[in-house]
Amino acid sequence: MRSLFEWVDALPSSIALRESLNAYPTMLTIHVVSMCLFAGLIAYWDMRLVGLTLRRVPVSNIPTRLFPWALTGYGINLITGGLLLYSQPMRYYGNFYFWAKMVLMLIAGINMFWFHYATYKSVQAWDQGREIPLNARLAGVVSLVLWAAVVVTGRMMAYSGLMPQWWNNLNIGA
Amino acid sequence: MLQSFFQWMQGLPFSAWMLEETWASPIIQCAHLVALVAFAGAVLVVDMRLLGRGLIKTPLNQLAREMDRWMIWSFVALFVTGAPQVLSTALKQYYSPFFWWKMQIVIIGLLFNFTIRRRVAFAEEGSLGHWPKVVGFLSIGMWTGVSVYARLIGLLS
Ligand code: HEM
Ligand code: HEM
Repeated sequence: MRSLFEWVDALPSSIALRESLNAYPTMLTIHVVSMCLFAGLIAYWDMRLVGLTLRRVPVSNIPTRLFPWALTGYGINLITGGLLLYSQPMRYYGNFYFWAKMVLMLIAGINMFWFHYATYKSVQAWDQGREIPLNARLAGVVSLVLWAAVVVTGRMMAYSGLMPQWWNNLNIGA
Repeated sequence: MLQSFFQWMQGLPFSAWMLEETWASPIIQCAHLVALVAFAGAVLVVDMRLLGRGLIKTPLNQLAREMDRWMIWSFVALFVTGAPQVLSTALKQYYSPFFWWKMQIVIIGLLFNFTIRRRVAFAEEGSLGHWPKVVGFLSIGMWTGVSVYARLIGLLS
């Protein structure tokens, strides 16, 4: 893994992005705005599953009508996030919050697929309902917590001085 | 006048505490972003509907009434997590043009919401021609502008 990061770090295109004055602010700003589109919509979907809001909207309406937008936001988010990483791989390689964010995103993705291919199959039975199955409500809570944690770890990546002691002891960045 | 007000804010014991306490600023910043996500979703659900996208099978005024609370409370959360940052970095904010642009658009956005946007969203659907689209477009534009300027305060000043 380390050699992959070092290899990218030495690529001319990575160096060019790193040395550009405008690239970092532009990508980070687009990263935050696209996050709003993705995470903002997903949050209300999760809260619908939990039963906190939009209770009169049929559950299945949200994936069909809002997911294309949320996924567009996610796509832009991944591209800008990927470019940020590409431009300074060695800055993030030893960063606890970066790896935590990646793991959290992975778990959030597994939760999403699991929900979609298991619990969601029976949606016809509870589409209009106020009675959402426990599994669906749990998936909603888990998703809310995980995406909030992704936002938090995303912001914390800037604080390389505030990583847990046990992580620093591993000396990964050095 | 304004400058001495910002100097006064910077000099408050609370500001000194924020800067000294290692975790205070990062926690507040993270909370500001989580509140931002809640705010963005509440705004977008209605604005997309105004644009004729999103949850079109649900009556607009029903959606707007439901999202109203979420929008207001998440704005309160943005204010509560934004104000301490203004206090602790008052002079940096004062000298950043982006901060002033952000605050101007925030005020215009709020006025726009409570005068025009809400009225249009609560109105009888189909009675206003193309105006709902214009309103949805402006609303998305303003809050996006707020976010862009907000992020640039930290990056470019
Ligand atoms: C492959 C996916 C992603 C990658 C590689 C990635 C990478 C990055 C990088 C490199 C930064 C800059 C950190 C810094 O220099 O301070 C960042 C910031 C951030 N990311 Fe991501 N990211 C990804 C997806 C996401 C997602 C899905 C979310 C939220 C739902 C998210 C939320 C954030 C936030 C809130 C910040 C901080 C922005 C700020 O400082 O204002 N990221 N990300
Ligand atoms: C009156 C309410 C608000 C106040 C007092 C406030 C204040 C602040 C301050 C002082 C910062 C730190 C800027 C810096 O020095 O880097 C900030 C960051 C930010 N604010 Fe606000 N804000 C408010 C409302 C909003 C709203 C309504 C939005 C979006 C619609 C927003 C979006 C952001 C964003 C995206 C950031 C950058 C976050 C980061 O990565 O650190 N804020 N805010």
